[in-house]
Amino acid sequence: MSVILKTERLRVEYASRELRSGIKVALNGLDLEVRAGEVFGFLGPNGAGKTTTMNVLLGFVNPTGGEARLFGVDVREPIARQRIGYLPELTYYYKFLTAEELLRFYARIFGIPRGEADRRIDALLKLVELEHARTRSIKTYSKGMQQRVGLAQALINNPALLILDEPTSGLDPLGRMKVREIIQRLKSEGKTVFFSSHELGEAETICDRVAIICRGELKAEGKVSDLVTQHQCDLEKLFLKLIGYQPQEVI
Amino acid sequence: MRRASPHVILALLLAVCFTLATTIQPRTRAWSERAKSGNVLKMLLGDGRRMFANHFFEQADISFHSGYYPSIFDQRAPAGKSAMASGKDEHDEHDEAAHEKAMAFLGQPRDWIEAFGRHFRITEHTHLAHGQEREILPWLRLSAELDPQRIDTYTVAAYWLREKLGKVKEAEEFLREGQRNNPNSYEILFELGRLYRESLKDNVRARHVWEFALRKWNEQESASAKPDPFQREQIAVNLARVEEEAGRLERAIELLELGKKTSPNPAGLQKQIDEIRLKSAPPSTAPNAPAY
Amino acid sequence: MNNVLAISGIVIKELYRRKDFYVLFVLTALITLVLGSVSFFNDAKIVRYLKEICLLLIWVASLVIAISTAARQIPVERENRTIFPLLAKPVTRGQFILGKFLGCWLACGVALVVFYLFFGVVSESRGRSDPAATGLTSSAAPAGPAASAKADDHEGAAGGSEHHDDHAGTEPFSVLLNYVQALALHWLMLGVVTAIVLLGSVVFSAPSSNVTISFIGILGILLLGEHLNKVALRQQQPAQAILYTTYFLLPHLEWFDIRDRVIYDQPPIAFVDCSLAALYAIAYTGLLLFLTWFVFRRKTLTL
Repeated sequence: MSVILKTERLRVEYASRELRSGIKVALNGLDLEVRAGEVFGFLGPNGAGKTTTMNVLLGFVNPTGGEARLFGVDVREPIARQRIGYLPELTYYYKFLTAEELLRFYARIFGIPRGEADRRIDALLKLVELEHARTRSIKTYSKGMQQRVGLAQALINNPALLILDEPTSGLDPLGRMKVREIIQRLKSEGKTVFFSSHELGEAETICDRVAIICRGELKAEGKVSDLVTQHQCDLEKLFLKLIGYQPQEVI
Repeated sequence: MRRASPHVILALLLAVCFTLATTIQPRTRAWSERAKSGNVLKMLLGDGRRMFANHFFEQADISFHSGYYPSIFDQRAPAGKSAMASGKDEHDEHDEAAHEKAMAFLGQPRDWIEAFGRHFRITEHTHLAHGQEREILPWLRLSAELDPQRIDTYTVAAYWLREKLGKVKEAEEFLREGQRNNPNSYEILFELGRLYRESLKDNVRARHVWEFALRKWNEQESASAKPDPFQREQIAVNLARVEEEAGRLERAIELLELGKKTSPNPAGLQKQIDEIRLKSAPPSTAPNAPAY
Repeated sequence: MNNVLAISGIVIKELYRRKDFYVLFVLTALITLVLGSVSFFNDAKIVRYLKEICLLLIWVASLVIAISTAARQIPVERENRTIFPLLAKPVTRGQFILGKFLGCWLACGVALVVFYLFFGVVSESRGRSDPAATGLTSSAAPAGPAASAKADDHEGAAGGSEHHDDHAGTEPFSVLLNYVQALALHWLMLGVVTAIVLLGSVVFSAPSSNVTISFIGILGILLLGEHLNKVALRQQQPAQAILYTTYFLLPHLEWFDIRDRVIYDQPPIAFVDCSLAALYAIAYTGLLLFLTWFVFRRKTLTL
């Protein structure tokens, strides 16, 4: 399988007044590979570097060292983002637009012809169950509806790679289930999904492979079953072990 | 302890506010002149309104010159009154030369930016005429509203209204308004007299108003360290003309003598006096009359 | 270009869905109509004061629209996080900035057209000067034949003045051309203003600081820019050198303010001069946008 997403010795440093060195290392030589057609879970505690990795992949942050590529193209080139869809954790879209206008705007960015864009917008709004609200402005939407609009805009260009940042964060169990179903469906269509999450159970269920990152360093990578067998514990215990969690003694 | 209902607290607060307002309000009248004033602009702007009044008077002058006017950064030659304001006074070549010099402020452009910028500016010195002088009126009206004690505004506006726009009634009303706001102003009285004589051809009223103006001048300026002789001369000379036409030649001579004291053209006034004296002399006493 | 146009479309949609423009337009119209209903000395033909006040209000409103719209674009996108899904698409930062600029500038243009149409209706409804009695005499006071004779000698007394055809400013075509020129130059000026404010929005962290500093800066340029050379010449060195350098470097926005020419029925400006001014505005806008991209391209956009 071809490699869709690749990072090599990826390093990101920030200036920091809190540290004596004046530099905070957010990512320290991260090597990552995501292959076509797989669902890849990117796991780690808060502050581990998951979001920083995504920022680099999406071009929001320039790496200090190393490189990152999407479809073999350096992430700093806009063309690298032509075939990806991105769903941020906190979904904020232009509140003065309707869902339909938003999707049409993004379709235009991708250069999708009008007729094709109309067809996709109809299909996506049906998929995320927002047909009834397509002409309402987004400022009237609930959080769940905004999340679903986010998913729709991430799929508007029929992407080969989906980057999802905590896709089930803040959703109720029904919402989480729907997101899982959509991810499964995308996988069955041959798309690649790269997502970050705190929900280990979810990762265990739907991911083909996972990577666990802590303090900017990759701690483990591979199939869930292989990791569990190798370390002889479940994913949660493995996670806690790799991030260096020491259970408190109960007196 | 029972908690008071929000409605009761609200009612109590309203009662306290009302009581305070009725108690304090009579005292506020003593605090400042501004509070006493019935004029909204005076209340809002205080004495700062004079600054705006000056600005609008200048705006009228800018309008009179169709936008061609020196800014505060241009080297302005000392020019005395503006052409708009001096329109009502009798002109002489010296005044006009001074005005021309003052308005030749542009000079040669100092650099290419200034040279190019002049294509977008008004660079020709013109005055409004043929009825277009009406465009200065709103600014003069605003200036008078803001500073009713500015005499110039009434006299200048009245001149243009009656002389160039044919609005004698409006000019008179405006001067009367100026007189109400400035009861001791001899300048406004003088202008009113001119209106009666030149526009309404009412010499009787003109004479009364000018006599009053002269009295006002004497009351105010004679005790002053630096009296303004120009206005007295203007009043005296014009009054003298009216007296001469009415046949009161002695009075006319008396007034011309008064004006001659401070006139820049005493010889001209002396000539007028001599002519009146010649008119008033009986024919039999004429010299070189043949003895029959 | 497609991306740029798409982003600009969003900016325009935002402007006409916000209330700012409508409030400013209604305020301008209200003040103008109230002032227009006032009668000064029973003369219904007085029109220039109305034109002056209306144009002043239009300029103030347009600056408010341009500065507040442009100042908001990038900071609010970052604050609301709407910039992330957008830049996650194949959109370069340059296209983003250009799209924002174009949207703001086009929105200002639409607002200006509405304002100037209103202005045209108001001023034309009052009637224009009779072309046979423009009411202009060149120089000198009006009294006496001697003074009138002198008046002819004084034509062009002011250094650098141009020959003036008394009737040229009031022919209907001339009036229309004047209005069109005023609108076009005003719009070009707003392009420079928008670019200045966009640059400010990537330099200053808070939109409020950007708005304040931009307003003060732009008003300073409009009111004082053309006079800096005169002030400079009165100074000692090195102040003179600094002021003169500033004078040459500043964009001369006052060239684009031809309200006086419209108010006082001056003839239209030569096409060559307008074109050169347009080129000047385009050059400055391009420079400012380039600087904006230069600052923004390496900025970290963190979630």
